[in-house]
Amino acid sequence: MVRDVSFGQYFPGNSLIHRLDPRAKLLIFIAFIVIIFCTFNYAALGVTAAFTALFLILSRIPIKFYFKSLKVIIFIVLFTSVINLFYGVGDPIWQWWVFKITWDGIHRAVMVTIRIICLILSSSCLTFTTSPTELTDAIERLMSPLRAIRFPVHEIAMMMSLALRFVPTLMEETDKIMQAQKARGADMESGNVIKRARALVPVLVPLFVSAFRRAYEIATAMECRCYRGGSGRTRMKTIHMGRRDVLAFIAIALVIGGVIVCNIFLGKTV
Amino acid sequence: MSALLELKNLSFVYGQGTPFEKKAVSDVSLSVNKGEFIGIIGHTGSGKSTLVQMLNGLIKPTEGQVILEGEDIWKKPKEIRKVRFRVGMVFQYPEYQLFEETVRKDIAFGPSNKGLKGEELDKAVERAAAFTGLKSDLLDSSPFELSGGEKRRAAIAGVIAMDPEILILDEPTAGLDPMGREILLSQIVNYHKERGNTVLLVSHSMEDIARVADRIIVMNQSRLFAFDETKKIFARGDELGQIGLQVPQITRIMQRLRGMGYDVPDGVLTVDEAFSAVCSLLKKEGRIW
Repeated sequence: MVRDVSFGQYFPGNSLIHRLDPRAKLLIFIAFIVIIFCTFNYAALGVTAAFTALFLILSRIPIKFYFKSLKVIIFIVLFTSVINLFYGVGDPIWQWWVFKITWDGIHRAVMVTIRIICLILSSSCLTFTTSPTELTDAIERLMSPLRAIRFPVHEIAMMMSLALRFVPTLMEETDKIMQAQKARGADMESGNVIKRARALVPVLVPLFVSAFRRAYEIATAMECRCYRGGSGRTRMKTIHMGRRDVLAFIAIALVIGGVIVCNIFLGKTV
Repeated sequence: MSALLELKNLSFVYGQGTPFEKKAVSDVSLSVNKGEFIGIIGHTGSGKSTLVQMLNGLIKPTEGQVILEGEDIWKKPKEIRKVRFRVGMVFQYPEYQLFEETVRKDIAFGPSNKGLKGEELDKAVERAAAFTGLKSDLLDSSPFELSGGEKRRAAIAGVIAMDPEILILDEPTAGLDPMGREILLSQIVNYHKERGNTVLLVSHSMEDIARVADRIIVMNQSRLFAFDETKKIFARGDELGQIGLQVPQITRIMQRLRGMGYDVPDGVLTVDEAFSAVCSLLKKEGRIW
């Protein structure tokens, strides 16, 4: 069922990671994701993997939800690691026609697999522990300097939060419409690709109609409350950086330092 | 009389194994006979909608069985579609499921999935439209041009056109004006009388339920609170009050009169009944107050 998608869902909680300032959290995770892809040997990769594990533990979210989010991308992981396996350079240890496997290729495949897994786990950790409103709030605050060059920061943040707000609503709606059409005998589970695509028409048409209806409704509701853009708006919930955010920044600095040290002193694996 | 539809220890849990786990229906057992008109009442979130969605296999019970004419509907999961043609389901606000270019095509969606073709299909569509009181000149216009009430009729016709043995309606009159409610309800009753099939009606309107239902299923906090004849259910006004439901206004008035010592019958459900009861009381007493 559509409702079962757990990738990108928010799980309310009160763990250390939940309580971090969303701005700090966003910056830290971006830095972490960048550093995941700047690891050149197993030691550096080990440091990032260890920290990913630490994030997961600190988030206090049952590990099976992380596994669920991995399940979504298992195909991508397999695909990229197989591609990498055959793209190594050096002496082949196994060869057939144009396909050859080298030690270099094996290392690449292993590293890329671990990197993608760390990437997905840590970004799931971010979305699991941060509500969509916190996230857009953080983005708006972090991008606010761009206002100086007339970049519509508030409008973009508002669009994002509206979009995020309507993801669950539209999912629920899709579910309802699918149920209604199934009740009229619509067959969505069998047949070839074309037949299945055709079977989506009875779902997509009502879904679009209702999305437009909702867009009108929300626009009217916003106008009724005198919404007229971002200038001069105050916030109901203000966010503050605290001591734990500073500690988190120090921790991520240590990770970055650790990765750099490993990269310099232990040489390149690939 | 053998049971047409039987529920055995039916339970459903949403989001099993997640922090959002929620028990929607627990341990419901009951049986419905052929040709009955059943009302389903209950407070918002009492599990009515989830219960009815299990009856035609739209959701699979986490525990228990739904038995249709002696056979578990999930015995052959691949043939669950066949069950859906036999147990028709009209959702809340069904007008949001309309999608075709013309009303005719939209009503034909169900029956053509069932396998009807040509003249047979046309007949089914027109008969269903007539049952719901949809004017035949509307059949060739776009469903998106219709008024709210007409859309509702078109959507209900889309389910009736499959000619189901059991028809489930989840709040079919919600959001309609009083006149529209009245007409739609009497059309459902006429449909039930003419086709002689079984109807399950979920509603928040006690007046509507009192008027049409033979028996009533009362749901409370995901459990079956009571399942009995309409008169008997509404005679239990106090208990219903405790679970946030009310008896029809006229029933309450008559109960109040009884409480004041007047000899009127218990379990009066409609204004007409109340009228004749009060008339005969006045005649007997031979005076006005």
